[in-house]
Amino acid sequence: MDFTTAERVGIGARLDYHALNAQLNLFAPDGSIQFDKDREAAQAYFRQHVVPNSIRFESLEEKIAYLIDNDYYEEAFLRAYEWTFVKDLYRRAYAADHRFASFLGAFKYYTSYTLKTFDGTRYLETYTDRVVATALFLGRGDEKLATGLVDEIISGRFQPATPTFLNAGKKQRGELVSCFLLRVEDNLESIGRSVNSALQLSKRGGGVALLLTNLRETGAPIKQIENQASGVVPVMKILEDSFSYANQLGARQGAGAVYLHAHHPDILRFLDTKRENADEKIRIKTLSLGVVIPDVTFELARDNREMHLFSPYDVERVYGVPLSDLGVTEHYDELVANPKIRRTTISAREFFKTLAELQFESGYPYVLFEDTVNRDNPLPGWVNMSNLCSEILQVNTPSTFDEAIGYEQVGRDISCNLGSLNIFEAMASADFGATVETAVRGLTSVSDQSHIRAVPSVEAGNDASHAIGLGQMNLHGYLASQRIHYGSAEGVDFTDMYFYAVVYHAIRASNRLAIERGTTFEGFAGSAYADGTYFAKYTERAWEPATERVRGLFADAGIALPTQQDWRELQASVQEHGIYNAYLQAVPPTGSISYINNATASIHPVASKIEIRKEGKLGRVYFPAPHLDNDNLEYFEDAYQVGYEKIIDTYAAATQHVDQGLSCTLFFLDTATTRDINKAQIYAWRKGIKTLYYIRLRQPALEGTEIDACVGACTL
Amino acid sequence: MTDTIPGRPITEISVTPPSYRHDPAARLRPINWNRITDEKDLEVWNRLTANFWLPEKVPLSNDIQAWQRMTPEERTLTMRVFTGLTMLDTVQATVGEICQIQDARTDHEEAVYTNIAFMQSVHARSYSSVFSTLTSTAEIDDAYRWAVGNELLQERCKKVLAHYYGDEPLKRKVASTLLSSLLLYAGFYLPLHFSVHATLTNTADMIRLILRDKAVHGYYSGYKYQRGLEKLDAAGRQEMQDFTFALLEELYELELAYSGELYEPLGLMEDVAVFVRYNANKALMNLGYPTRFTAEETEVNPEILAALSPGADENHDFFSGSGSSYVIGKAEDTSDDDWAF
Repeated sequence: MDFTTAERVGIGARLDYHALNAQLNLFAPDGSIQFDKDREAAQAYFRQHVVPNSIRFESLEEKIAYLIDNDYYEEAFLRAYEWTFVKDLYRRAYAADHRFASFLGAFKYYTSYTLKTFDGTRYLETYTDRVVATALFLGRGDEKLATGLVDEIISGRFQPATPTFLNAGKKQRGELVSCFLLRVEDNLESIGRSVNSALQLSKRGGGVALLLTNLRETGAPIKQIENQASGVVPVMKILEDSFSYANQLGARQGAGAVYLHAHHPDILRFLDTKRENADEKIRIKTLSLGVVIPDVTFELARDNREMHLFSPYDVERVYGVPLSDLGVTEHYDELVANPKIRRTTISAREFFKTLAELQFESGYPYVLFEDTVNRDNPLPGWVNMSNLCSEILQVNTPSTFDEAIGYEQVGRDISCNLGSLNIFEAMASADFGATVETAVRGLTSVSDQSHIRAVPSVEAGNDASHAIGLGQMNLHGYLASQRIHYGSAEGVDFTDMYFYAVVYHAIRASNRLAIERGTTFEGFAGSAYADGTYFAKYTERAWEPATERVRGLFADAGIALPTQQDWRELQASVQEHGIYNAYLQAVPPTGSISYINNATASIHPVASKIEIRKEGKLGRVYFPAPHLDNDNLEYFEDAYQVGYEKIIDTYAAATQHVDQGLSCTLFFLDTATTRDINKAQIYAWRKGIKTLYYIRLRQPALEGTEIDACVGACTL
Repeated sequence: MTDTIPGRPITEISVTPPSYRHDPAARLRPINWNRITDEKDLEVWNRLTANFWLPEKVPLSNDIQAWQRMTPEERTLTMRVFTGLTMLDTVQATVGEICQIQDARTDHEEAVYTNIAFMQSVHARSYSSVFSTLTSTAEIDDAYRWAVGNELLQERCKKVLAHYYGDEPLKRKVASTLLSSLLLYAGFYLPLHFSVHATLTNTADMIRLILRDKAVHGYYSGYKYQRGLEKLDAAGRQEMQDFTFALLEELYELELAYSGELYEPLGLMEDVAVFVRYNANKALMNLGYPTRFTAEETEVNPEILAALSPGADENHDFFSGSGSSYVIGKAEDTSDDDWAF
């Protein structure tokens, strides 16, 4: 072993690779972008930092033995295979000769993912080592699956989400999933238990979203005494403080989100917590907000009418169903007419304007279109919330607690494990169906191996649903590489056909899992898969490319698009054997993993040709859009130039094939007004978008104050 | 009153309130934002109000861990740099901007200075937020005692104050522009350097909000200076140019001495000096003059230069901080057409 040490770097030291990387954001004298400087930065980073700080071993045997003996690796997942197989698998992975395509990819990987010595100073893994450990861990002794996962991950076609890729195989590790959704019911036991769950999940590195819709409003009675309740804001403060406390214990930032229904009486108080001039007592700094908006709110705004807000306390007493699960659109007139339900009114258009004002000031709240989501939900039950990234959309059920906040009845809460395909690489797959299937099997393994015992409702939910979320990234990179503009007719057509192919293979893989295991997810019998209605849209009409260009792309890639007959056969098999996973797809925003994987994030347009990235652990770094070169700049119009309509058109094409949601960020210049944001929301709702994630704003420098040589500032 | 007969322009028959001290008998007029004489006033006003922020929005407490990892020397440097910045912002808020009101060329210019002065106070206040979040009262008191006792810091302030309280409006402008575009930036070097190296990132975010404002402040003073210069004859203009370059030279020397004291122990002085020269040129450009230093002398580290860009175009990770790109939006009602579905 080689234990050479590098010196500690103080704040006074300058690092060559930072300087080289920063030159990406400065034009060369001839006006071109200096891509070579970024490659030099990556090389300098390896030479100056990674290599001197890595521990080297004589042989694989020595390395694995060291990692197990010193409590770095778990032993069991390695012992599930023959040693010769393990050795061959490492050899196979190293033969792929992985190189990072950008400085940020390498930097991010070594800063945040790779296994380090316990004192945090030296590296014990390369990227390839991490890939093999992940594949072996998810394979659970299945050589074919482990081999498949190595091939898919090392080629960049499939990338497990951060918690899985970060933790798989490590002995001292967090959970493999990091995304949780919890209901909160209208009693102190549930609130107290939720705070505890939020702490427990944050400690494990999770992001937690909580549903506040059912909490009684400000001024509602407590024990029948009027004007007692203090509403949702104090609960938000408790949660925010809980997340920042857990943040100090763990390596990763605690993060939380809260969702509230638009027709909850505290909705404006909820939004005002993000005001620039909010009082310190009610200001919410780090908690993310989401608003659930039903169709009826849009209809009221269209007619320029008042919208009624309904007391969740009264709703639960009158209907015996909490507000979150009622379906406000369907019951709206009835709720308005019922004198037993207290209500207040605000102008519907003012509500939307306030929403947009807050989005200008803070980027929040996220928006969930309640009725759109539930129309497309194949499972029985009601979807009433989403998660921190607004792509998880699953049904849940409440828990009940005794006085000591022990569980009386364990409800179903949600965890989700994610992984994304890189569209560029997947289109180059020799067997597209197998790529999707391997990804589905890898993600299912994460679900099978996840047991969140600290929060029994989450564990019960996962055991019942085996839900996964297969995502996609690098859409813009792929389209630009084919010289297709994002959001053009061909771009939208491709998106439609690509997701059409993915959904077929994903369901088929889940069906195969159900056949192999002889079991389905809990509640399959009541789902739209079981009665066949889910398949109608695919069996009743043919889905084919609308443009010759896209037809050619799939033909050239050797990817056969599923036919109506394929769907009929799949339907028959699903109706007979079921599917294993209650949910299959969700398209996350893919921050970190898209840098490592060299993909444009998710399916939205690049934020900038050269992205300025600022993160807690990284500092300020620059990332060139994947597949960008000095010859194809025109195909890399950034999200601000592309405009919201094309983004929404693209998302709408994908949404129709995705059972859960897609994180959809909208981008505006600071010349936009709240009206522009409202128009985008109306357009998104009409197009069948399920959720909207952040609103991002860009304010160009005032003329006369810009830094002349900057790529970013000039928005070329 | 014959004075108010229609036909004579309001500006001829009345003055703005600051003129009261010259002529208590004159009629006063209220500011009218519906009659703009210099579009730049409105443009800058709109930019300033859109950029309004308060330090409370930045989750500075997320920097506590990073602060605890820093060495005592690094912490002392940080506190002194920030106390120095607080000193300059105090000067600018209470005197520098206010004293320019009397010289305003338009009614709206007066209002813009009051806005700028307020934001300078917010900036001065924001360093205190950093201190109270990261350090103890004893350490804070030490830093302030250092500021009061530091000769160079005192001299830097007094050099510009002398002109603020002098009799020449254009010299006030030059002094103010040099303060906003030159003196403050040596202090900003440290947080920019931090932001590149992932140290005190939330504090750096806050500094970028301050930078975003300062870029506009320096630009505006410089712009108004150039408008004033247009009224002078060639000799007057030459005199002002000579004055500007002489003051720049004095402040530049002071800046190097001051920064040297702070940055030398950490080996950053060479880079800081380049950065100061770069900003000296920027200040001159704001005033409409040719640069003083050559391109070679002002070759700032690319990572710092790239971090300096005042446009809000960074793509931050929402879960680690609030970023520095949000602005107060313009509210506009939707119309029935927007809702036609």
